[in-house]
Amino acid sequence: MQQRFSVRKLVYGIVAGAFAGLVLVRTSTAADAIPEIAGLWQMPQCPSTGATGGGGLNRRCMEIAENDAKLTERAKAYHDAIDEFAQPKYDCAPMPIPMMWSEPYSFAIEQLEDRVLIRYGKEEVVRTIWLEGHGFEEPKYNEFFYYGHSVGRYENGALVAVTDRFTFDSQGWNADSRIPSSTQKQMFERFTKEGDTLVLEVTATDPFFLKEPLTYRVTSKPEAEWDFDWDCDLEASRSILKIMEPQYPNDPPVNYIDYQARP
Amino acid sequence: MNRIGLALFFVGASLTGTLNAHHSTQGIYQDELSDLTGTVKMWRLINPHPHLVLEVKDEQGVVQEWDVSYGGAAAVHLKRMGYATDTFAVGETINFKGHRARAAGVNGLLVEGGGNIPTRADGTPVVKGGSMF
Repeated sequence: MQQRFSVRKLVYGIVAGAFAGLVLVRTSTAADAIPEIAGLWQMPQCPSTGATGGGGLNRRCMEIAENDAKLTERAKAYHDAIDEFAQPKYDCAPMPIPMMWSEPYSFAIEQLEDRVLIRYGKEEVVRTIWLEGHGFEEPKYNEFFYYGHSVGRYENGALVAVTDRFTFDSQGWNADSRIPSSTQKQMFERFTKEGDTLVLEVTATDPFFLKEPLTYRVTSKPEAEWDFDWDCDLEASRSILKIMEPQYPNDPPVNYIDYQARP
Repeated sequence: MNRIGLALFFVGASLTGTLNAHHSTQGIYQDELSDLTGTVKMWRLINPHPHLVLEVKDEQGVVQEWDVSYGGAAAVHLKRMGYATDTFAVGETINFKGHRARAAGVNGLLVEGGGNIPTRADGTPVVKGGSMF
């Protein structure tokens, strides 16, 4: 018996196929959803705990304190030996990461096809998070960077990034308190949105100087406008050194390089 | 201290705390507040930290230069409080209240940016004040 053409079966087939396609589209969209994190953001804030730190701002959760329980014996020894006068910040070198997230300044995020740029208002630092799958050039074996090398991807509605290849930094965990970081520092960041709020989760490790990771979750609200520029002045940066007691008074005095005097 | 007092303490501390955004001021300055009056020699509303030099006569009548710092506050923080490049005029007499440097023989004063606004010779505050953020 010849199989008769069934309009009902055809309709069922079309509907089933459309539904299957819809499921597939929805599944792939959810997995690869790109969070809209571009824009200008206020300084990140820790969850409210009723007490504040760091100058009255809610940022203590992001800090490695001078007497932090996470510090290794090695970290404490380095801290005691490091000469404040030799810290890079007095050359207008920027705050390190992840410490920069705790600084009370706005920041901007720009999402490009092959990378995400983060511009910090303080010290005008621009970080690049290279996105996987777009053929970025891997660092050479002998390349290390002050801000490390960041690689990211979009995953389950978030931007996740890993940063390593940091240079050794005498102020790498806390430039205020002489806590250094090593070439083994590694930082994991996860950026998401909750309504109009940017959520940043950070886990950072450094087995030489931290016994356990620094982990925190902070949020930022949109910022209306960028109301400042930076342009660090060397003389102003070094002015406080005039009133500090030298840690090594028997060593010859240092004549700082005037980088800004060069044409 | 009861709970209300404790809460008020934290609020007060949060509003007037020093910004440690660039360098820690711990150990550099004395804990107690001091008054310092002098004439402005230099004022730069600049980054990373605004910088003022004050000429102050010591007990022997000799003019000494003092470095006046606003701690970790950057130019934008002070601008939001009303500071400008012309807030202080060279030669103007200003009254400061701050923390003196600990190091012997060093003339330094820390003015906590969120509080203790300096005053002019007639007693008026140099700026209106307000939040740095």
